[in-house]
Amino acid sequence: MRTIAQPARPGGFREGLSRVVGTRTADWVAKPGGTRLLIVIAFFIVWEVGVRFFGDPLFLSPPSEVLHGFFILLGEPKVIAAVTLTFWEIFIGFLLSVIIGVSIGLPVGLNLFSRRSLFPIILLLYATPQVVFLPLVILYFGIGTASKIAFGVSHGIFPIIVTVVAGVQNLNPTLLTASRSMGASQRQILRWVVFPHMVPSLFTGMRLGMTGVLLGVLLAELYVSSGGIGYYTRLFTDTFAPSKVFALVGVLAVFAVILNELCRRAETHFNRWRG
Amino acid sequence: MKWGGKLVQRLVQLGFLVALLGTWHFMTATGTINPLLLPSVPSVWTKFVQIVSNGEYWPHLKITLYEYLVSMCIFVPSGLTVGYLVSRSRFTVRTFDPLFSGLYAIPQIILLPVYILYFGLGPGSKIAVGATIGFFPVVLNTIAGFSSVDRLYITAAKSMGASGFKMFWSVMVPAAWPVVLTGLRIGLIISFLAILGTETIVSLSGLGHRIVTLAELLNTSLMFAYIIFAVMVAIALNFVVSTAEARGKRH
Amino acid sequence: MNSRDVAIKVDNVSHAFGLEDEERRVSALENASLDIGRGELLSLIGPSGCGKSTLLNIIGGLMPAMEGTVLINGAPVRGPLPQTVAYVFQESALFPWRSVRENIELGLSFQGAPARERTGRAMDALSAVGLADFANHYPSQLSGGMKQRAQLARAMALKTDILLMDEPFGALDEQTRMVLGEDLSVLLAQTHKTIVFVTHSLSEAVFLADRVAVFTARPGRIKQVMSVNEPHPRKPEFMTSDKLSNMRNELYELLHDEIRKTMMGTEGVAPIAAAPAPKRAAR
Repeated sequence: MRTIAQPARPGGFREGLSRVVGTRTADWVAKPGGTRLLIVIAFFIVWEVGVRFFGDPLFLSPPSEVLHGFFILLGEPKVIAAVTLTFWEIFIGFLLSVIIGVSIGLPVGLNLFSRRSLFPIILLLYATPQVVFLPLVILYFGIGTASKIAFGVSHGIFPIIVTVVAGVQNLNPTLLTASRSMGASQRQILRWVVFPHMVPSLFTGMRLGMTGVLLGVLLAELYVSSGGIGYYTRLFTDTFAPSKVFALVGVLAVFAVILNELCRRAETHFNRWRG
Repeated sequence: MKWGGKLVQRLVQLGFLVALLGTWHFMTATGTINPLLLPSVPSVWTKFVQIVSNGEYWPHLKITLYEYLVSMCIFVPSGLTVGYLVSRSRFTVRTFDPLFSGLYAIPQIILLPVYILYFGLGPGSKIAVGATIGFFPVVLNTIAGFSSVDRLYITAAKSMGASGFKMFWSVMVPAAWPVVLTGLRIGLIISFLAILGTETIVSLSGLGHRIVTLAELLNTSLMFAYIIFAVMVAIALNFVVSTAEARGKRH
Repeated sequence: MNSRDVAIKVDNVSHAFGLEDEERRVSALENASLDIGRGELLSLIGPSGCGKSTLLNIIGGLMPAMEGTVLINGAPVRGPLPQTVAYVFQESALFPWRSVRENIELGLSFQGAPARERTGRAMDALSAVGLADFANHYPSQLSGGMKQRAQLARAMALKTDILLMDEPFGALDEQTRMVLGEDLSVLLAQTHKTIVFVTHSLSEAVFLADRVAVFTARPGRIKQVMSVNEPHPRKPEFMTSDKLSNMRNELYELLHDEIRKTMMGTEGVAPIAAAPAPKRAAR
């Protein structure tokens, strides 16, 4: 986007700043993106300085230590294995959520009767606090990978089902009539009319579903503290190694942000024709 | 009776419930599943009635509610204040709104180990989780609500002599209120769920913790009773908050 | 006009938008001058974007003029004048979260009217426009015409000397417009307020106003001010009279080229059918 250089108002913030750092820098800072970056940088500086001088090293770590801790972790194969496992659980959980979600969402959405009768049940299930079932799920599926995936899937399918149903519901019946008048079979209509129409909603659902799967898997991992990242977070917490805790948490946070951003971009891309 | 009418829909939903209960009962009655894993319907029912009637749920619920109320007292005023302040200039909105949106997208549960490190296993960490999770929907919706007040109302009020506090209280707040209220509803609900979740994962007390303890003791019928109780509390909260929202949005 | 009789004096007012950036500056109004007499009803008419709403907002103190001054009762306008000027907007500026009566009471509280007077004044105003029975209804429960009547009641309850109306009937259908126009004329004849209103409707301008100021296309200049010599209150028969028709046609001829120019997007592009060069006498 071409920026239009604006003359600084006398006495304004930008004018004062431009006297210190030069006009072009001042213009860049005064833009929202620039300011945001400055805020983030300031945050890290405050964090670093604050903890070094005032913080209790048992509980807090400055960013430099966290970075150091990160590299230490990279050298511990068991930690890496745990994180990788978590990643795979999320990935598989997501895939299953999409498959199951669409398989349930499409039939429910397409059939008016099932939509009116079954959908409220689905919404009710969506609204229940699934986290209270966590001990039960672990009881049934054990402490291994299966329970993490299962819990992730149970969080992930609902947004997908709901958005698929919404996407199908929005289908203009005129489109269906027009297709049928041109001789399309039921399968063709499903493949070429219903499915593409549903896809944008699906991507919105997938973004929400991804958040859900992430939540479910992480909850389960943290609950089961015998192996996996739950174990390591507990270990680092109990041994008062805050830098490692922060580093591990940081890695997961970055994961989450990247996944979320990917889903958001995919969603925007596929929603383009919506306008 | 028209096929597909409202009555039939209700019947299907009822049928679903009956089928669920029926399967449950069948599986326990015939011993298909170890009763330790799936307690029988009557045993759960008895336990449920028991905990409700003699009030033994209270010491656990009390802690959970305490954590919830304290976190509410933190995130509601701070979310509203920060949201309003950010909404006052387009520049601050464009700077901070994406920041908050981005942070909201990260499942806060990731920060749980940090909170536990810092606040310990007691109510402190739950309050911290509840407060940070509840903060984001409130602040985002408050920003959105106040920045989307129709300029026409402000112009009309100005022409009649409104300014300063009167403008804020009599024009901006009522105009922004519906959106802000939605944010409050979302925040109130997800913070409760987050607190419940944190109690489940690591805690010394509270409703979530109780369920975990019972699981470890394999006292599954009582555990089921408590799960049902917790679900009902959550549904009741959801109902209260949603009704308050709907009533606040009457016009 | 005798200076004591001049309620509003617009003196060489110019205004442009996008002042910060040379590239994007759009001149909205150029050298507009008008003397509006006390108790006069003046209509501003012109093509879209010709600055008539801008001038109205400048007169009311909602916007500062880039150049030129506006004097109301001899004093320069520097900001909103809630004691002297009341507004009626095109879009219903009634607050949706309050009932009609509460809307008026709120306006009175903004103005600083004493609390015990507010309900009485609100109900009087609502009765005057025929909405007394709807005092406790919310704007969303009213039709478009009723909402504008409520806005008018709010403006009247403020008991100002001057009333500014920005296309008050713009969002309404033709039939409602006609009826409300007649009601307005009756109402205003009783109150002797100085009124300036912006409209797109030629017949409405002639029917209601004492004088009609015609604007050119952007940048808006006052092309001509036409007098309508007809006593108030205007009778419904006036709407269908030859006198009104003639004046309406005169307005049409004045406006026609300006409207074309606005649609072309630039000045000076020849329209499809060549028309005589327009007169540019500003008074």
